[in-house]
Formats: sequence, C-alpha cells, structure tokens
Amino acid sequence: MAKRVLIVDDAAFMRMLLKDIITKAGYEVAGEAANGVEAVEKYKELKPDVVTMDIMMPEMDGITAIKKIKEIDPNAKIIVCSAMGQQAMVIEAIQAGAKDFIVKPFQHSRVIEALQKLS
Amino acid sequence: MNEQYLSVFLDESREYVQSLNESLLKLEKNPRDEETINETFRILHTLKGMAGTMGFEHMAKLSHRMEQLLDKVRSKRITLTSDLLDRLFAGVDMIDRMINNIASGGNDQADEEDLKSLMDAFEVVQEEKVQEQSVNSQTKEEPDGVDDSVMKVIQEASKEGYNAFKVRVALAEGTLMKAVRMYMVFKAIEDSGGQILSSVPPVEDIEQEKFDREVELVVITKQNAESLHKVISSISEIEKVTVLTITKGQGKPNEEEEEKEEEVQEKVEIVEEKTPEQKISQKRRLVQTVRVDIDKLDTLMNLMGELVISRSRISDILKKYNIKEVDESLSQLNRITLDLQNVVMKIRMVPIAFVFNRFPRMVRDLAKQLSKEINFIIEGEDTELDRTFVEDIGEPLVHLLRNAIDHGIETKEERIAKGKSPVGTVVLSARHEGNTVVIEVKDDGRGIDRNAVVRKAIEKGLISEAQAESMPDEKVYELLFLPGFSTRSDATELSGRGVGMDAVKSVVESLNGTVKIESIKDRGTTVTIRLPLTLAIIQALLVTVNNHVYAIPIANIDSTLNVPANKVQKLQDRLVTVIRGEIIPLVKLWEVFGLNGRKEEQYYNTVIVRVGNRKYGLVVDSLIGQEDIVIKSLGKIFSDVRIFSGGAILGDGSIALILDVSNVV
Repeated sequence: MAKRVLIVDDAAFMRMLLKDIITKAGYEVAGEAANGVEAVEKYKELKPDVVTMDIMMPEMDGITAIKKIKEIDPNAKIIVCSAMGQQAMVIEAIQAGAKDFIVKPFQHSRVIEALQKLS
Repeated sequence: MNEQYLSVFLDESREYVQSLNESLLKLEKNPRDEETINETFRILHTLKGMAGTMGFEHMAKLSHRMEQLLDKVRSKRITLTSDLLDRLFAGVDMIDRMINNIASGGNDQADEEDLKSLMDAFEVVQEEKVQEQSVNSQTKEEPDGVDDSVMKVIQEASKEGYNAFKVRVALAEGTLMKAVRMYMVFKAIEDSGGQILSSVPPVEDIEQEKFDREVELVVITKQNAESLHKVISSISEIEKVTVLTITKGQGKPNEEEEEKEEEVQEKVEIVEEKTPEQKISQKRRLVQTVRVDIDKLDTLMNLMGELVISRSRISDILKKYNIKEVDESLSQLNRITLDLQNVVMKIRMVPIAFVFNRFPRMVRDLAKQLSKEINFIIEGEDTELDRTFVEDIGEPLVHLLRNAIDHGIETKEERIAKGKSPVGTVVLSARHEGNTVVIEVKDDGRGIDRNAVVRKAIEKGLISEAQAESMPDEKVYELLFLPGFSTRSDATELSGRGVGMDAVKSVVESLNGTVKIESIKDRGTTVTIRLPLTLAIIQALLVTVNNHVYAIPIANIDSTLNVPANKVQKLQDRLVTVIRGEIIPLVKLWEVFGLNGRKEEQYYNTVIVRVGNRKYGLVVDSLIGQEDIVIKSLGKIFSDVRIFSGGAILGDGSIALILDVSNVV
C-alpha cells in the first residue's frame, strides 16, 4: 500500500508543487492543510503515515503543530519544510520531534529521499 | 637521442605530471592521506628514474629532491603543510616546463637560479622540519589525532562497557543547511545513548557552517559499530559514514581500524582507504590503453565512410536485379559495416576527462591568487566526445571557469554578508543528452546583473529602452555574446561575463554547438554548452541549385519558406524580405556560385539560416530532404574555397558540396 502523506503549507502553490512531487514518486496524498490548526485536525482525522510541515504559517505555526501532533501520536513522522536561513527554526522543529527537513526551493530527489528514509 | 624513446618519454612524463597535480590536489584536501602520499612518492621516483635514463640530469635531481621530501612525509617525520605543498606544486610546474622544453627540441636546462632556489627550498624545509620533529617526537605518540585527554576518557569509559569509535560523516554534495544536518547527526548519536567526546572541526565551527562536507567525531557508546553506523546513515543527505573502532591497549594506545562502508555487513579489517587505490589503478589502465596516430584514425574514418557509401551503392544496384542468393550476404555485409561504423565512431571518442583533468590545478591556483575558497566539483568526466572537440573546447572552458571564479564567486566577506557559505562552489559537468554532449559550468556566485547588461546595451545602441523592458532575461544574457559587448573596464560591473564571451560563442559555433547562459541573482550562473556527438557525420538538408545537389548543415538552419517574388524588396542593393516583422537579407545561391542567366521566378524556395544572431535567407531551386552525411575534406588544393566546408558522397554515388553558411552570406 502506498504511504499516505499529509501536506501542510499555507501557500497553495507550494502544496501543489509538493503534491506533484509526492504523487509522482508513488505516494498517496491523504490531504492538505493550510495552517497548524488545520494540520492537527487533519492529522486526527486522516492518520497519515507522513506529514510535510511548513514552519511559517498563520493561525498556528509549524513548530507548535508538530508539538501538538506529537502529543496525539508520539510516533508521528514529520518532515519540516523550510526556506533558507531558518536554521534555528529547523533545529527547534527537530527538537520538537520532526524526523527530517527539506529546504525550499525543493529538489525532487531530496523530497523523495526524505520520504523514503521515513518509510 | 633516439626519437622513438623520446616521444614515449615525453608522453609518459606528461601523464605523470598530470597525476602529480592530481595527487597534490588530493593531499591539499587531506594531507594525511597515506595512499596518496605513497602514490606521489612512487610517481616522483619513477619520474626520476626515467629522467636519469634519458640523461636529463636537472629533472632527475629535482624529482629526487621532491621524492626525498615525500619520503620524509611518508615516514611521518614531517607533516605536509600548505606551504610545503606550494613548493611541491612549484616543483611540478618546473618539471612540466622542462618537459615542454624538451618537447620543443631543447633540454631540461631550466633557469639555473629558479632551479637552485627551488631545490634549496626543499632542502631548508627538510632541515627545519626534521629538527622540529626530533623535539616533538616524544610527545606525539597517540594514533591519528586522538587527543590525550580524550584517550583518558575513552579508557575510563571502556571500564563501564562503552565502546569508542572514530566516526567520519560526509554530507551529500549540495546539502543545504549543513549545520542543521550535522545537528541531526549529533542528536541521533546522543539519542541512541552515545556521547560525543570531540569533533573536528569543533562544534562552534559546525554550527556556523564552517566546514566543507566532512566531520570527524570521537564517540563513546554502548552500541557496536554496526548499529552506530545504522543510526547515522538513517539520516537524509548523508553520503558516507565511516565508523572506526578505537581499541585501547594497556600501555600504549593502539588503534585497530575497522572500516565499515555503507552496506558492508561483515567486519573486515582493512587498512584505511584501500578502495581509492583500486580506483587509481583502474584509472591508470584507462589512460594507458593505446596510442594511435591521429592521422591514422582520420584515415580509418574516411575509409569507413567510403565503405558505407560503396555498400549502399551496391545494394541500390542489386535491388534492381533482385537476385536472391546475393540478398543474404548483402544483409550480412550491411550488418558488419554498421557494426564497424559504430566501432570506428567509438574509437574517435575520448573521455572528456582529457580536457577536464587540467582544470582542478588551474582552479586551485586561481582561487589562491584571488584568495577565494572554491569547492571545485567535476562531474561526468567519463562522458565521451569526438576527439576533434578535445583540442578546441579547452580554451572556452578555461574562459568560463575563469569568469566563474574571478567574477561569479564573491569574496568571502561578501558571501558571508549574504548568508552564503564562505566557500564558493563551481561545478563543471558533462553528460550525454540524446545526440549531443552537454557541458555545464555552474557557480553559486552573485549571478549576472541584468540591469547592468541592459544599461550597457542601451548605451551601445544595441537595443532601445522600450525593447529592454520587455526583453526576457534569456535574451538579455544573449547580448553578452555580441562581439565587443563588454570590455575590461566594465568587467566588474557586469560580473565580467562579457569578457571573451563572444570568443567562447564563436568557438562553440564553429563546432556546430550552441551556448546558453542562465543566471539568478545571488544564486549563481550556469553556462551550458551543447555540442554534437561527432563532427564527422552531420545531419544536412540537401537542396538543388541549377541541378546540382548541395548540403546545408541542419545545425545552421532556422526554417524553410516559400517566399513570393512580390514580397521581395531591394534595400541598398540587397534583396530582402520581411518575415514575421523581421527583415531578412536574401542570397541567391546561384549568384554566389557564379551560375547566372536565369529567368525570374514567381516563388523563391528559401532556407533561413542563422549566422551568429542574424538570420539570412538562402534561395535555392528545390529542397530534397534531410540526410546524414559523412564529411570529407576538399583537400589542400581547394583550401582557399571558403564557401564550402567539405564534400559528401551521397547514397547514389553523386557528390554534394557542403555549404559553410557563415562564409556564404
């Protein structure tokens, strides 16, 4: 069975891009969320295998969302998506329990590598 | 001196000089790489022997000195400093000069003074270092840089069941946020119950991304090497993890090394870096295959072409008579000639490494001169291309690399201010794409300043301001290829991209290739060169003029058109027509060829060709079609005929002359 991925990003464009990469790599996109609050709700609802999580988002940022999701499911597998120059945030996200990170602009191979390493 | 020996001597010593450069570059990155030290020592030794045999005393003496120095390094009596490496490089350069001198009929008589000072330099270094060494020799006992205090901790910890490992982690090329990635490595080790005792470079440097790709850690953990390896390699973007066991003897610490490459299951005791040695010997063999006179290869190719033509003629003739018995042997002949053709084509191909080999040294020297730090990466050096390109493509690449390093890559300070890694990256890559060879020079420097280019172009009256605004970046960069677009004085303003770019373009185009620039501000510039796989066989459009067949290389052709006579106008004595708003000069080929006396026609069959950035229309009688043709030179007698680049024999045995478009218009 194909791994199911939840894509979290406030930019529809980024979601589209990721969706494209992820489905082409043979994974299933379980759902999308545009902010941290939605992400937590969708996580409960969809129980995805992997989450890609943007950091800077309205309503609730990615790091808080990671913490919340980890409370619900300590085994959640989360990949942080970050722009260049957010090192500190990424480290924080990893401390919060993210398993890997990818840097925008995304390189397809990196996204796929991250997914594979987690599956 | 026996000519025959001399040429072999020269060939081989040039190869050795190249290997020396490569090894020294390797040592510069890792001065303790024993395998390479041994290799360097060995080459110098061989070179000394060769030079001595040929009676080139100076060369022998110089290599002897260098060899002695390497011997001291090898026996760990002195360490290779960057200063020492500089001197070794200078030594190699001098050997190279001697070889060139000998090749041009001279001897190895280098400038006495230079030679003496260089030799003295080796001498002095040796003495200093040796003395220093004798003082230090008692204190430096522990293996491979494991600190005394660290060693103590390891010994303590071992009593409590901890194992100690030396862990080398190399990040994948192009890893972003290296500091974070390394943080993940540290975290993974600590999460799995390990402790990091020391790290090279120190943690503070890693946090500030002050490292290249590799980090060396001393770790104590209750796990075994295998599971520690697994823990680390589960992280993304890790290229290689090496886990070495540090064992501690009672008195003197003794290191037993255990290398675990990825996926290697059994623990094998290997002396470190066995694999590179194998790689080197493989490479050697590749280079040392056969030496064939270039003329012979050309003749072979020519004969091959003739054979192909004769074969198709025979098969054409035989088709008319339909003789069954011949059919079979004919198809066999077809197969064999096709195979033979492929083999001959392959022989003409050489790995692009022949061109790329000399660049690492050049990049190093240039970087040092400009005090920039450059991570120079070569990819796809095995990519093969026609040997005729090898001689010509070098210069343009030198140009592009110089541009990238000199003008593309910013100074360290500038890079740090921009939040980039202080080490600039320049990638030189080659690959096959369909029927072309693609060569790329990519840097992560400041990119091309579009505005500066546009300003310059407007200043020079090449474009209007209105045009400039709507111009896509691609077109703007194309301006850089215009002859004389940029001079030295604007070099810095335009990141120097204009310097010699027209020269690059003209060389590439003379090889039937194309060149393209892409650039993103502050992210870097990529120059892409596309070359056909071979020049010997080209695709051409066959046309007729006065019942003669001519060939126009497809690479030059933009499109073909039927232009009504009433759309053709005279402009300052030249025939022109307007196609999609573009004024295109027309050239009647029969006039160029001096075949006059024709009546006017209602339509002109026109082949639109590109010459540089301009388009021209060549008017012909009719178009026949596209065909692969084997180019044959016209020979010396016709060397001043500029409008034809050669001739080709067609399937029916007739001859077509190949137009050299740039000389026709």
